[in-house]
Amino acid sequence: MGLVLSLVVSGACLSPAVAQDRVQEFKALQKEFQAASYLNFHPTNDTDRKEAAERVDKVASKCLEFAEKNPDEPIALDAMVDVVTQEYWLDNHTTYTGHGKHDRQAKAIALILRHHLQSDKLVDVCKRVQFGFRQECETFLRTVLEKNPHREVQGNACLRLAQFLVSRLDRLDMIAGQPDLAGRYELLYGKDYIERLRRQDRAEVIKEAEIFYERAAEKYADVKMPYGDLIGEQAKTELYELRYLAIGKQAPEIEGEDQDAKTVKLSAYLGKVVLLYFWSEF
Amino acid sequence: MKQYAGKPFALIGVHGLDYQPAKLKQVMEKEKLNWRSFADHRTISLKWAARSTPMYYVIDHKGVIRHKWVGYPGAKIIDTALENLIHEAERQNSPK
Repeated sequence: MGLVLSLVVSGACLSPAVAQDRVQEFKALQKEFQAASYLNFHPTNDTDRKEAAERVDKVASKCLEFAEKNPDEPIALDAMVDVVTQEYWLDNHTTYTGHGKHDRQAKAIALILRHHLQSDKLVDVCKRVQFGFRQECETFLRTVLEKNPHREVQGNACLRLAQFLVSRLDRLDMIAGQPDLAGRYELLYGKDYIERLRRQDRAEVIKEAEIFYERAAEKYADVKMPYGDLIGEQAKTELYELRYLAIGKQAPEIEGEDQDAKTVKLSAYLGKVVLLYFWSEF
Repeated sequence: MKQYAGKPFALIGVHGLDYQPAKLKQVMEKEKLNWRSFADHRTISLKWAARSTPMYYVIDHKGVIRHKWVGYPGAKIIDTALENLIHEAERQNSPK
């Protein structure tokens, strides 16, 4: 009897009634995340912000619990992806110093790799982990690129891996000029993270990022990213930035029209320090 | 940016929406932005700010990229970077 019961509970096939309950339960969790993040969309004061963060924090724990209960279900994958997203949300929208110490995101990523590595629904996760701080984010992208059978997923993993490597180098540059930020990273992600940032061998990392950008541009050029842009174009553009617009490089020429329709060249400013900013209004 | 008047410094914007110069002039006047900006048709931004905007580059007096920030790093960071490079430029522009 115990054996039968455990088979039913651990298998991907749940009885229709239980499955229906699970769908309802997950819907409620998604709704709660939506409501909490919406509260933070136009926060009127710190109390709103704090409440939003606390609610997202709770939902992340519940989603993880939900996924762990029956990890092979397709709906469990959705919950795991949500945990990754929610942790990412907490990184970006709060200064709440507790969440970085949780390993919910790491657990969710490990569950995806263990139970859903062959899934064709991993494009969004690749996008989410691109800016991740955890070692698991890198492990995820490398494993998916190597072992996922779907070309669309592979292509996205390949581009995101290159981006992941480049943005980790960017972070090293950022903390170099901002001791406050270094302190905050350390508080959130631990000494290990800062040490890992500092241990990066710049030349090696750039070389590897170039390899992944090139592979994305050659092998996955026609694969689409979540908003419809093509991997090939994006990879080529970012490869250009890595090669010609990096710190220490001679700035390439810019020629264009200014607001008075006069032709302007960047090189005309040689001899001056130039702060060049790029802005697109939405 | 008053504190840099008379210094070897220039602030240049690149506005990435598909503005014609006249439209950009209108926007800049409305927002009281009194510096030079490129009216970009995505061609410049596509290369220089491929990942996201706002994006900032600091180029020294020799034309070398010395700092870049994805996202606004804060006034203090920008000012410190600029002041150091402006000193560097002034020292080298006026040899003893």
